[in-house]
This record gives sequence, C-alpha cells and structure tokens, in this order.
Amino acid sequence: MKMKKIFLMVLSFICLLSANTGCRPKKKGVTIGISFETLQTEYWVASMAAIKSECERNGINYIVAVSNGDANRQFEQVNNFISQGVDGIVITPKDAHTIVPIIKAANRASIPIGIYNRLPADHAGEHVAVVADNYEITKSTVRYMGELARASGRKHKAMILIGDLGDINAIYRRDGFNDGIKEFEDVVEVVSRIPTEWNQEKALAGVTNALQANPDISFIFTSSDFLFPSIISALKNADKYHPIGHENHVIFGGFDGDPMAYSLLKEQYLDADGVQDVFYECNSLVQAILSLIEGGKVGRKIVDPGFVIHQKNLNEKATDMWGANLQTP
Amino acid sequence: MIESTANKLLGKSENTTVYVCVLYYFIMAIFVPGFFTIHNSWNLLFNLLPLLIVAIGQTYVMLGAGIDLSVTSIVAMTSIIGGYCLSDITAFIEPVWLRIVFSLGAMLLTGALIGLINGVSVAKLGMPAFMVTLTTMMLFSGTAIWLTRSQNSYMLPESFVNMPYTSLWFIPLPLLIGLVVVGIAYFLLNNTLYGEWLPSVGMNSKTAAISGVKVQSTTIWSYIICGCCAAVASILYTARLETGSPVMGQHILLDVIGSVVIGGTSLFGGVGKIQWTVIGAVFIIMLDNSLNLMGMSYFLIMIIKGLVILLAAMMNLLKEGKY
Repeated sequence: MKMKKIFLMVLSFICLLSANTGCRPKKKGVTIGISFETLQTEYWVASMAAIKSECERNGINYIVAVSNGDANRQFEQVNNFISQGVDGIVITPKDAHTIVPIIKAANRASIPIGIYNRLPADHAGEHVAVVADNYEITKSTVRYMGELARASGRKHKAMILIGDLGDINAIYRRDGFNDGIKEFEDVVEVVSRIPTEWNQEKALAGVTNALQANPDISFIFTSSDFLFPSIISALKNADKYHPIGHENHVIFGGFDGDPMAYSLLKEQYLDADGVQDVFYECNSLVQAILSLIEGGKVGRKIVDPGFVIHQKNLNEKATDMWGANLQTP
Repeated sequence: MIESTANKLLGKSENTTVYVCVLYYFIMAIFVPGFFTIHNSWNLLFNLLPLLIVAIGQTYVMLGAGIDLSVTSIVAMTSIIGGYCLSDITAFIEPVWLRIVFSLGAMLLTGALIGLINGVSVAKLGMPAFMVTLTTMMLFSGTAIWLTRSQNSYMLPESFVNMPYTSLWFIPLPLLIGLVVVGIAYFLLNNTLYGEWLPSVGMNSKTAAISGVKVQSTTIWSYIICGCCAAVASILYTARLETGSPVMGQHILLDVIGSVVIGGTSLFGGVGKIQWTVIGAVFIIMLDNSLNLMGMSYFLIMIIKGLVILLAAMMNLLKEGKY
C-alpha cells in the first residue's frame, strides 16, 4: 500500500515536470492573446470589442483573458498565452510597474507585446505602446471649461476627481488639469481634489463631502467619465444638477468620451469632454503587433492625439466619438 | 448508511485526491492544447509554489480547528514592507545583499507578528478564529493601502527580481524555497511533539489539555507558522511581479482554503497532512491553468473552482460521517 502511494506521488510529479513538447498546439494563421486588467467600465468594454473587431477584420485568431484587477493573475494568463504558442500579445496592464515582468516574459519567449492605453515604466523591455495624450487632451478640455468660467463673469470654486495615482494616465490627467487651470486662476479657485482610486463609492463619498464643505462649488472636472453617476447623484442631492443656461448650472467636464458623456452633452448637462479615440488606438495597436509578427519595425510609442468635444462642435465631432457610436440599449 | 456509501464511492483511502489529480492531468494533457508542454509545466510549478506555501500555513491552523482568513492581508502587508525596504528609491541599507537579507527578515517578522496577534486573540482571549482573522484581514489590508496611499514600490534590486529565474545546484530558487518549506512543515508535523499536539488540540482541546498538551501555545504557534508561510509566499509574489503592492495576494483566499479542503484536511480540525495539501494545491492550480487555457472567463473559472471546493468540502463531511 505504501509503495502504491509513493508510486502515485512520483507519477503525478513526473507527469507535471516531464511533460514533453509533443503536444504543442497546431495553429492556423496568426493568433493573438488579448489580456485586459478589467472590463469594469464601458471604455474597456468598447476597447475590447474594437480590438476583437480589428483582429477579425485582419483574419487574426484571438484568445481573451481578463484578470479582474489581479496583477499576479494577469502574469499567469500571459504565461498561459505563451504556452498556447500565440504569435503576439495585446495587454492592458494594471499599472506601469507590474507590467514590467510580463513584458520580460514575452521578450524571453520572443513574442511581440503591445501595451494598450497605459504606458509601462521606462525600464520595461521591448514593447509597443499605444496611449492617448492624456495631458494635452485634459489641458485642452480644462481650458475650454476655464473660458466658460471667465465668460460667465463671476468667480468659481472648482473640484477635480483624481484617478488611481498608480495609473500613469491618472497622473497625466491630474497634471493636465493643474496646468490648464493655472491660466484661469483669476476666475477659478480649486478647493477640492478628490482621490477616487477609480472607485465609484469613493467618488460619491468624496463629492458629497466636498459639496458639504464647499456648497458654492460650480466647476467640476472628472478624470474619467465612468465616475459621472457618482457626481450626478451627489449634485442632485445638493440640488446643484441643472442644465446649461440655468443660473445654478455647474460647469462640468470629463475625460474618455463614453456613451454617458455623449448623452449628457446632448441633454446639455455636460459642457466638455476629452475624447480618446478608441478605434484609432485599437486599430493602430493591432496593426503594430501584426507588423512586428511579420518581422517589421514599429516605434515604441503610438500617441492618440484625441480631441475635445463640447456644445459648439458636438454635431461635427460626434461621429468620431466612440461613445456616440456605441449602440445603447 | 450514507457514510458507508460515501466511503465505498470515494474510498476511505487518502489516495482519492491523488487519483482524481492524475486522471485530471491526463485528460487535460490530451484535450487542452498547450497544457502538456514544457513551458506550461513550468508555469504550473511556479504558479503552484506561492499558493502551496500559504496553504501549508493554513493547514497548520485548520489542523488546530481554526481558520486564518487574514493570509491575504499578511501577503499584502509583508509585500509593502519588503518593497519599501528593497526599493532603490526608499531603501536605507547598503550594500544590496544586506538590504535583501534585512528586507526578507522584516517580511518574515511582520508575518510572524500578525500571526501572533491572531493566535493570542484566538487562544488567550478565546475569540472565534473566523471573527478574529476576518477583522485582521480588514485591518491589515486597510493599513497596507493607507500606508502606501495605494502606491506600489518598484525599482527593486536586480538580484531580488531575478530570483525566480536563478538556480542553485541546478534547482530554481523558488522551487528550492518551496521544497524547504514543505520539508520543514512535514518534519514538524510528523517528527516532533508539536506535530502530535496540534491535531489533538484540533480534535478536542479539552481532552488535549487534560492530557498535558499546552493548548494555548500550540494554537498560537499554528497562527505564527501560518503568518510566516504567508510572508514567504509574499517574497515569491513580490519578486515575481517586481513590485511591492498593497493589494498583493488580494484574490488568493479561495485558492488557499480550496487547496487545504480539496486535500482532505478536516474542516473541524484534528485531521490533515502536508502531503494532502500539496495534492490539493496541485489540483487547484491545474484546474485554474487548464480552464484558463480553455479560454474560459475569469468569472466562469471562479464559479467552477467554487463548485469544486464546495464538492470537496461535502465529500470530507460525508467521509467524516457528519451527515
């Protein structure tokens, strides 16, 4: 009996370690592994759909994995992609640093890796990254909002909702806001900076507290459109949610260009929104990976210049806004 | 009647999980592309090691009829402390080798201290293990996030982050660490007086006390061992991700408990072996890996793993005649 036990233990161990290479998967055409850190917001869902669509358009097979905010799981998922013999990897990392060992793993396996929407740390290995110009888009959006504040002929108190500062995009958006608002110091005073860590509950609590401490806040910028529901809820509770033209309208701006932003723009509650061009970013990244797989060379960074959409250019720019192009139920 | 049928079906033997494990491995090797490859075998092994080490600590606690839900927060706390001490940006010790030794020591000490708090609360103050460790989980997870303001520590020394890819006597260092932990845990449980006391405390603490077993210190040490194991796992996770993170290990609790339960350690204490937990952890990792390779979504994988663990817990109860 004891021998049987030992035999079984040894057998399972040998099976685990001595696996040979005979069963490598047979592939037809190019296969890409797509790993997303989250599908929590419409932006990520739209991005995933756009990447899949671009793959299908180019006849590329794809395997999808979502790590639900777990960097270790994402590392394991990418290793699984490598085991499956993918030709390329597209990944949205959790942050700029936990992606570093993932890029190294892809480099060791000589598999091209494309980073979507979040720049890795400087010392990361070989990769191509596509990212929106978060700083400039935010700065332009805030400038537009600042002009509205100045045109109103009165002074405003402002609030910014900051994202997770472990996310480089959140830092660039915060910096873009700070530099954009500096030009309007004569009419806008920033009285509240709310760290949301990309969390709706924290955003709601933060905005509610800020509106209690400063009931005369009349200028709000959020670093991501997905926080709109929290802001609107807090504004309604404080009786400050009014459309453009109303005497108590709060100058309101955001970043992303999601479907809710488009609706709010149409309904005239939102003044301006910085838009990331999801289709441009996804298509560029898939094309870059394809080019690398075929032995071509691409730059390390692809920048999406984005644009600002506001009440004056809404009709003209809506067709380029990904949120306006998504079908809403 | 039900118990005897269950025993006939499942076997009273300890090998049931081994049979299932080996069978599952062969089925996956045949049907899942990419599973039976050298690269994936190394994946399985390296994914297994940190989980196994945490699960071994959990086995000690469960053998003593306790449970430690705070292992995830111990991983997080030790990761940020290690990250802070190791990072080129915040480090205060030179040379690098001394910095690494100090940091690893600090991580182990932190794990042991949290284990001590859990152990004293359960054994000395008589608080329920579930309540104590749930609270310390929240306390130390929150502390880790508060101390770091959700920021990761990075720029860790090359010699530390290269550890997962470094070999000693042709054995990869993580594997060596795993073998040492398993060896010590096995020895302690099978060749020492403590190894006899712990299951007796888990079986019936009053009887154990009458028999001269130091119930309180035995229980406290089980939590300290669990804390140290979580700290060792944290070293592996931190090196692997090259980052000290306040959310490190946040999602592993189900896998840890699952490994111990699937291995067959009793949910009521007193019965369990290190080798059972090894098999349980291997099964959990194989399940996770194969489902991932099949392209299943994260949520579907969680559902399947949850069902498997529930089934394993029911099997254990059947075998113990609890129904």
